[in-house]
Amino acid sequence: MIEVKNLHKSFIDKKNTVKALDGLSFTAKDGEITGILGPNGAGKTTCLRTLYGLLKADEGSVIVDGIDVLDDPLAVRKRLGIFPDKFGLYERLTAYEQVDYFASLHGMQGANKKAAIEQIFKDLGMEELAHRKTVGFSQGQRMKVTLAQALVHQPKNFVLDEPTRGLDVMSTRVLRNHLAKFKEKGHCILFSSHVMQEVAALCDRVIIVANGKLAAQGTPQELCDLAGEKLLEDAFVKLIGSDEGVAA
Amino acid sequence: MIQFKALLIKELREAFRDKRALLVALSFGLMAPVMIMVMSKFAISQAVESPEIYVKFSGAEYAPKLIKAFKDENILAFVDVPADEKRVWQERNVEVIIPDTYAQDMVDGKPIDIILRADYNEKSLGAPLRRIKDEIRSFSLAIGYKRLLVRGIDIKLLQPITLQQQDTALPTSNAMMISLILGLYLMMGVFVSGQAISIDSSAGERERNVLEMLLCQPVSTLKIVMAKLVSSSLIAAIAVTLMLSLTTVSVSFVDLTKIGATFSLDGFTFTALLMLLIPLCFLASSLQLFVAFQAKSFKEAQSTVGMLIMIPAMVPVAMMLIDDKPSWVSWTPITGQSLLMEDLFKGLPVDWLAVLVTSGITIALTAGLVLTIAKRLTSEKVVMSLS
Repeated sequence: MIEVKNLHKSFIDKKNTVKALDGLSFTAKDGEITGILGPNGAGKTTCLRTLYGLLKADEGSVIVDGIDVLDDPLAVRKRLGIFPDKFGLYERLTAYEQVDYFASLHGMQGANKKAAIEQIFKDLGMEELAHRKTVGFSQGQRMKVTLAQALVHQPKNFVLDEPTRGLDVMSTRVLRNHLAKFKEKGHCILFSSHVMQEVAALCDRVIIVANGKLAAQGTPQELCDLAGEKLLEDAFVKLIGSDEGVAA
Repeated sequence: MIQFKALLIKELREAFRDKRALLVALSFGLMAPVMIMVMSKFAISQAVESPEIYVKFSGAEYAPKLIKAFKDENILAFVDVPADEKRVWQERNVEVIIPDTYAQDMVDGKPIDIILRADYNEKSLGAPLRRIKDEIRSFSLAIGYKRLLVRGIDIKLLQPITLQQQDTALPTSNAMMISLILGLYLMMGVFVSGQAISIDSSAGERERNVLEMLLCQPVSTLKIVMAKLVSSSLIAAIAVTLMLSLTTVSVSFVDLTKIGATFSLDGFTFTALLMLLIPLCFLASSLQLFVAFQAKSFKEAQSTVGMLIMIPAMVPVAMMLIDDKPSWVSWTPITGQSLLMEDLFKGLPVDWLAVLVTSGITIALTAGLVLTIAKRLTSEKVVMSLS
């Protein structure tokens, strides 16, 4: 479970101060897929970076499975599977070596690790890629490797920042099935996306962030009802209070 | 430990698969011994042989015996210069002017002024001018001695004191030039060899967006920095070892006995040199990582880290120029190793206390840098500069 409580974060420059988070609070529960929506610059990435323990909030706290990220960032990261906003691959390593590396960083070893890596390659349908160096991989293939490294240690909580961008239909379906399976097993999944249909189809609850604050939350249906719109996209635009989100 | 092992294996895999960086690292090690061999051979030939000197004589016809004496010492007339060297000697323009009264003055026993005109500041003329002066002096002395002998005077009277010079330098000290070049090369090797790997694993990783992902993992930044440090230091250490081994082989092709010198890298010297240089490899890599992590981009890292090469290039030279060195220089990193290497090359007994203190300070400095980098990697500033 991921609990975000009253997060405040400002970036102070020489000339101006940018308030990225302004009292954001939400909870992503176990056994649920929580979607996080927001226009560009709403504070999503800052929120997630605070969640990983890379940034320190000016005020408020992030608690993952009862552990405050400020107290023990390493223990929190151990419970997270992260698919970041910006990601790169080690291009001189093969896909297998790369996933193996991240599995080891999470303390896996021996036959256990080997079985987990083979399983995730099988699940994501990327056995053929396993022993190729990642240089020259297509966007979709790169996404898959990054997903594999985020999921290989079967974390209790997933934080996926737009994991479907660049994936083909088949892979997107595989990912969705995968997430649904993890959800049933009781994992907590925090999922950000700009594809409204996907959010509507996949998420149990949706959190809408705008200007560093929680704009609204609820099931996709509740949000539509709240805004008085039929489509989640229209509801989203209305709830964030501008048309800017459409361009995102 | 699982984590550190994984981090290190990954760094080494990347380093050894980066063919270009590896080539740079090892090429320095391969180049040095060849350079040392070529330069020593050249220097020895300069020191031992007396090549032709071409001088513009005027009034040569008045002093045929003097000209003959010059010729015996390979000091020849400019008119005989071969075509390919003509331009060089034309530029050097060494003139010897013999007065037309030479023969008569010689008969009369009057002093004769012979003028040697040249650019005395020109470095390449140092040896030729010395040889011309020596020749004129000994020619003049020979005539003077004969005049005294004819008058029945023992020429020993002219030398009430003779100076006997006893050189306390060990035979190996004469190989100063080789040791100087080798010392400089080893220092440069320490700094150059791991450089590409250090930059790639720090600024390079940040530019390829893999650093953020790594910082999000449950692993302390200290382990991350340590793995990177060990990997690039190891490459530098391999290059330095290679350089030393090949130099041992290449120096054996140079006949140093010609200049009365011996130079050998025996097992003891070899091990002692490595003991001095390996801690330096770590210091160099940690400095490079520190600077590269500060840089905003890969390119900036390349240029700023490149500046670090000034340290190993300048320090040993400065050490040579300063005669009265303050005592602390034998303990501080780089200067300490530089002085200890000099002693080793000279065959002097090793000051083990200095070795221990220098290495200790080097390692402490490295540890300080590592801790600073690890701390900086947790700072928000670094995270913000990721995107």
